Amino acid sequence: MNRIEIRELTKDHGTQRVVDHLTFDVLPGRVTGFLGPNGAGKSTTLRLLLGLDRPTAGAATIGGNRFTDLDRPLHRVGALLDPQAAPAGRRARDHLLALAVSNGIPPARVDRVLEQAGIASVARRRIGTFSLGMRQRLGIAAALLGDPGVLLLDEPTNGLDPEGIIWIRELMRGLAAEGRTVFVSSHLMAESAAFVDHLVVLGRGRLLADTSMEEFISARSARRVRLRTSEPDRMGAALAREGFELVAADEGHWTIEGIRAERIGALAAREGIPVLELADERASLEQAYLDLTAERAQFSATTA
Amino acid sequence: MSAAALPTVSVLHSEWIKIRSSRSILASLLAVFATTAGITVLTAAAIGTSQPGALGEDRLFGAFFGINFGQIAAVAFGATAFAGEFRNGALRVSLTAVPNRTRLYLSKAAAVAGLAFVVGQITGLVTFVAGQALMGEYALSLGDPGTVRAVFGSGAYLTLIALLSAGLTALVRSGTLVMSLLIPFLLIVPFVVGQVADGAGRFMPDRAGQAVMRLEVQGTLGPWSGLAVTALWALVSLAAGWLAVRRRDA
Repeated sequence: MNRIEIRELTKDHGTQRVVDHLTFDVLPGRVTGFLGPNGAGKSTTLRLLLGLDRPTAGAATIGGNRFTDLDRPLHRVGALLDPQAAPAGRRARDHLLALAVSNGIPPARVDRVLEQAGIASVARRRIGTFSLGMRQRLGIAAALLGDPGVLLLDEPTNGLDPEGIIWIRELMRGLAAEGRTVFVSSHLMAESAAFVDHLVVLGRGRLLADTSMEEFISARSARRVRLRTSEPDRMGAALAREGFELVAADEGHWTIEGIRAERIGALAAREGIPVLELADERASLEQAYLDLTAERAQFSATTA
Repeated sequence: MSAAALPTVSVLHSEWIKIRSSRSILASLLAVFATTAGITVLTAAAIGTSQPGALGEDRLFGAFFGINFGQIAAVAFGATAFAGEFRNGALRVSLTAVPNRTRLYLSKAAAVAGLAFVVGQITGLVTFVAGQALMGEYALSLGDPGTVRAVFGSGAYLTLIALLSAGLTALVRSGTLVMSLLIPFLLIVPFVVGQVADGAGRFMPDRAGQAVMRLEVQGTLGPWSGLAVTALWALVSLAAGWLAVRRRDA
């Protein structure tokens, strides 16, 4: 009932195709990162999902319903789009109250979400006086108003201070753990790696990947081990007998290509070589993402 | 337009909260009363007893002298009440709570109409009674022919002007633009067209509707037919705004 289904979704702005035959699902119970560079079509996809823009073709539904067919939708879907959209002249509490009342949500709930978002102390201030981070928290408070099963958050970490980023990360993980669908867009890969379980990657309006974070990174990590040892000569000799080469890296570290840490651990134990550090080298989400987009760029260049 | 798109109590309540929590919208609504009643009273106090018809050739219309300025506040009220939705994508936030655009639009228009009507009626009554109290021997009383109609009509007229402005604001998505077009129009056109009874001028939204406050019928439009012409302007404007809000990407 909280599953988001995007089917062949397409949106043209004039002659430019902003979203190009997108098909994917977003499942409850996990945080799904919606990643891609600025201009990849993430925000447009979210707007199409909320019925704010009309698709050129295809459909986007939440629990089988189009968003615009939902009665009192705040109980089903909470959305944070643009934190700057909140009316500057209104007090924060009045802004949330107007939204709450339209969906039959009691005013007490407004105070709860203000508290939860950490902006209860500024609830009576006009939104125009808010920093970007405070507006971001206000937008998240608005998204939480109806205690919805689906959360759509467009770049929620924008403008947040480090404390705020930790807060939103914990909040999203908690919401997903409660079985809700959390769909969060970001153009910052390094930051997203900390809270994302599943990835939907977009490039120029097209789907580049729809996979778990784990798979995405494993598939793009070279088999390489990094280690530190007090006896590199013996280690090098032992590895050479197995057909591997110990290569010097930075600051007393060594790398070995084409092998896994468990095999080296066993080898070192058998030979009695002290190992001070041993780890598989994994690509960061950022590297994996850049590899992916580079592949695609090459692909489109050769087929063009 | 199905019944599902009609305003609901909760959405109307929400729109009322939006209006009452915005200083600029409230200020323009209060200005409708303050300018209409205030300017009428001040003018009546200054020159009301100097000669018959000092506030206008038509003594009944003269009793609402300040409405020439109050209607500008009504334009500002309609424009500011709607303009907030078209600033910085605020409409998107509203649509995430009330995704049915027709319902949102009609609720907003109903809230503007309701408030303008209530304030308009109070304005009409206070303007007439307080203004005439200062007119000495030339005063009209509520019992005189046409006065009750004119008092009611002045409030209705202000409501229609506010709705005309609101619809245009939704159409062009800018309150500033609407105010900078409508206000000069309301101020200048009467001077250009003058008091000529015939011609297209009498079908203009202001001239036509003001007939409801006149004792003498000018040309072909009587008090109610004149008000109906202004209502038609307001309706066309609201319909145009509604089509724009429904069709466009938010």
